[in-house]
Amino acid sequence: MQADAVLTYFLRRVALTIPTFLALMFLTFVAIRLVPGDPVEVRVGEHAITLERLTFFRHQLGLDLPVWRQFLEYVGHIARGDFGVSLATQQKVLTEFLTLFPATLELSFFAIVFAVLIGVPAGAVAAVRRGGFFDQILMTVSLFGYSMPIFWWGLVLIMFFSVTLGITPVSGRIDLVNFSFDQPTGFMLIDAALSDQQGAIKDALRHLILPAIVLGTVPLGVIARMTRSAMLEVLNEDYVRTARAKGLSPLRVIGVHALRNAMLPVVTVIGLSISGLMAGAVLTENIFSWPGVGSWLIQSIFRRDYPALQGGVLLVSAAVILVNLGVDLLYGLIDPRIRHAR
Amino acid sequence: MKRSFWLSLGLSLALAGGAGAKTLVYCSEGSPENFQPAINTTGTSFDAARPVYNRLTEFKRGTVEVGPGLAETWDVADGGKTITFHLRKGVKFHSNKEFKPTRDFNADDVIFTFERQWKPEHPFSKVSGGKYDYFNDMDMPSLLDTIEKRDDYTLVFHLKTPNVAILANLAMDFAAISSAEYGAHLIKKGSPELIDQAPIGTGPFYFVSYQKDAVIRFKKNPDYFGEKALVDDLVYAITPDATARYAKLKAGECHVNAYPRPADLPEIQKDASLKVVSQSGLNVAFWAFNVTKPPLDKKEVRQALSMAVDRDAILRDVYLGAGEKAKTLIPRTMWSYNDSIADYPYDPAKAAALLASAGVKSLDIDLWYQPVQRPYNPNGKRIGEMMQADLAKIGVNAKLVTYEWGEYRKRAQSGEPMTAQLGWTGDNGDPDNFFFLDGCTDGKPASNNIPKWCNAEYNDLLVKARVLPDQGERAKLYSRMQEIEHEEAPELLIAHSTVFEAMRANVEGYKQSPLGTHTFEGVDLK
Repeated sequence: MQADAVLTYFLRRVALTIPTFLALMFLTFVAIRLVPGDPVEVRVGEHAITLERLTFFRHQLGLDLPVWRQFLEYVGHIARGDFGVSLATQQKVLTEFLTLFPATLELSFFAIVFAVLIGVPAGAVAAVRRGGFFDQILMTVSLFGYSMPIFWWGLVLIMFFSVTLGITPVSGRIDLVNFSFDQPTGFMLIDAALSDQQGAIKDALRHLILPAIVLGTVPLGVIARMTRSAMLEVLNEDYVRTARAKGLSPLRVIGVHALRNAMLPVVTVIGLSISGLMAGAVLTENIFSWPGVGSWLIQSIFRRDYPALQGGVLLVSAAVILVNLGVDLLYGLIDPRIRHAR
Repeated sequence: MKRSFWLSLGLSLALAGGAGAKTLVYCSEGSPENFQPAINTTGTSFDAARPVYNRLTEFKRGTVEVGPGLAETWDVADGGKTITFHLRKGVKFHSNKEFKPTRDFNADDVIFTFERQWKPEHPFSKVSGGKYDYFNDMDMPSLLDTIEKRDDYTLVFHLKTPNVAILANLAMDFAAISSAEYGAHLIKKGSPELIDQAPIGTGPFYFVSYQKDAVIRFKKNPDYFGEKALVDDLVYAITPDATARYAKLKAGECHVNAYPRPADLPEIQKDASLKVVSQSGLNVAFWAFNVTKPPLDKKEVRQALSMAVDRDAILRDVYLGAGEKAKTLIPRTMWSYNDSIADYPYDPAKAAALLASAGVKSLDIDLWYQPVQRPYNPNGKRIGEMMQADLAKIGVNAKLVTYEWGEYRKRAQSGEPMTAQLGWTGDNGDPDNFFFLDGCTDGKPASNNIPKWCNAEYNDLLVKARVLPDQGERAKLYSRMQEIEHEEAPELLIAHSTVFEAMRANVEGYKQSPLGTHTFEGVDLK
């Protein structure tokens, strides 16, 4: 009975992603066509292009078809797993995405780990010491973190830690002079471990510090505030009072009884933050020359690389939808009420 | 005891590092599209492929002067219609994991390279998208009649029309010579596209690897026939953000930053560990007067408008000093520059008087400004507004107009605007590559001719200069053309922008190229 309920819940969630994905396809398609600039015209610079060559390229790119036909063809290709070929590099968009996505994933992972490891305990402590000195400091700092312009924050950290103090590298994923190895997985830490080059892992970690902090700052602020307010609510609940009355240690009361119940909204916020990381990653990757999908999308915009942009945005969105789906399913596990709700 | 062990280990490692391989790191501004200049259009991609390749002719490093490359010498005959190249012997192609060349470079490689871009039936014609923009833009299909192989080391280019400027075209990146043997090998292997991704050339460095959007690695080619590389490894650290490039340069993570932000220049100049080099770019920004639209058909009106605009103010406020006022189409660094031309002064009173003498009482014009930043024009809108204000002072009412960039160019080329800003970035350093902008064919303006101005004398000289093999003789004609252009004023020449590059102070032997290219043979680290 319960297994059935879980399965139904799971299937319903999965089914709901399909219309979302379709809407996304439509939106990316339309949005990119609303941006001024023609991919053929952008290529030719100041040179005049003959009408024949212009017509030929338009035809080759399918730009001479009516827009609705272009859209149908696009959907057809996606359905067959064909995300197109980049105009700039002539490589498959999917291949390019898969080459670069591990870098984004690695960065996002460390950013969210940083945000959770600091945000959750800090929020919990602030709630317990409500109104105290730590609480006030945390509320102020998290407000700053939440409203921090990522670009500026990244530059400040680079200027201070990398240029002035020289303790972290400015940008990139590894020291290019001292280390050179193949990247079979695309995850620098794993590849560094596989490479047998001494000091490579440590160097890769050093390169991760600043970008992970920069990308993790906004989620850190959100998670800390959300943990605090969820904890405040839970701390007033009867069962917490009961637990205290039973004489349980404060650590056990807070850590097990309160925090576990406060986690539900926090998990929601973590899930939303992971989706939000993609937006932050575009900026962070650009500042730190991090070769992920974010900086790739920016380059594609400047090149008017329709297929790369279209396919790239769609694939990133698909990843976000998957994360959201994962978070939804996780709720089901944390809170049985959700999977039983009809 | 323990401590002294670590100390001595550290010391020996440091020494080994000092005496070991030299690595030059170039903070490049973007990722290459591929490593095949024939199918590329961006400077970033050209820079990434250039260390690997040679061309028949080469620009001497740091100049626009054409010298020998894979062709050691050449003879021009038939009034410029036949060019015979004598190819260099004993030139080795690079090898990689996939491919080891079995023969030296010869005429087959040249034919392979050009026919790929020229003949649709060539086996590589469609590979990697098959767009050969530069080959077409430089009018090679209408210039080339046949390429004839006399023997392995003698090659004759038969042209349809005489044009000695083709020697400069052949020094351009798109004419980089690929290996025909590598091509055949890849076809056999069933992966022809690798010719554009794992390049094999004859250049000063050979290609090692590319990690997308992160790094390109090259190694010194010890067999190189020309000016040798002085560093063992060349690394392009791809760093799209200008501030990050500056920070990396400052922190010593890279040695050369070819595109510093103008705002960072004062700081860089103050820093003893860094240095800045600069020169006038091979470009020009102008304001074209459409001579088909009255009263702009009158020379006096065009001259009046030329005197009405305060270009010094534009250079000061928009170019922020990073530009030189232009008085002819070509910049000072180019041969045939005519310095005896007296520039139009900024003189509103005289401009108003000229307009009156031309019988123009009130004048409404549209003034098209560029919607995008270009190397020669940092801010078209701001320049447009300053011009508009200047024109108002002599009673000319200018309406500002613009379009999306592609649309803008198309409409400007079709002759729609009355007056329009535009500009040009030189391709090959030959004056013809600038003066053709005002050229006409059979009395009709070409599409790049924005003022739609056809002057018989100017055009005769333009065509004649393409035929003369002697540079001195050509220079005389170009010099005269600059006088005609100045007198007739089909456009007001605004500026040539200045190009800055920043590097670590220990970089030696780097030469800035007027063509805007970046090369690292002959560059050393001290």
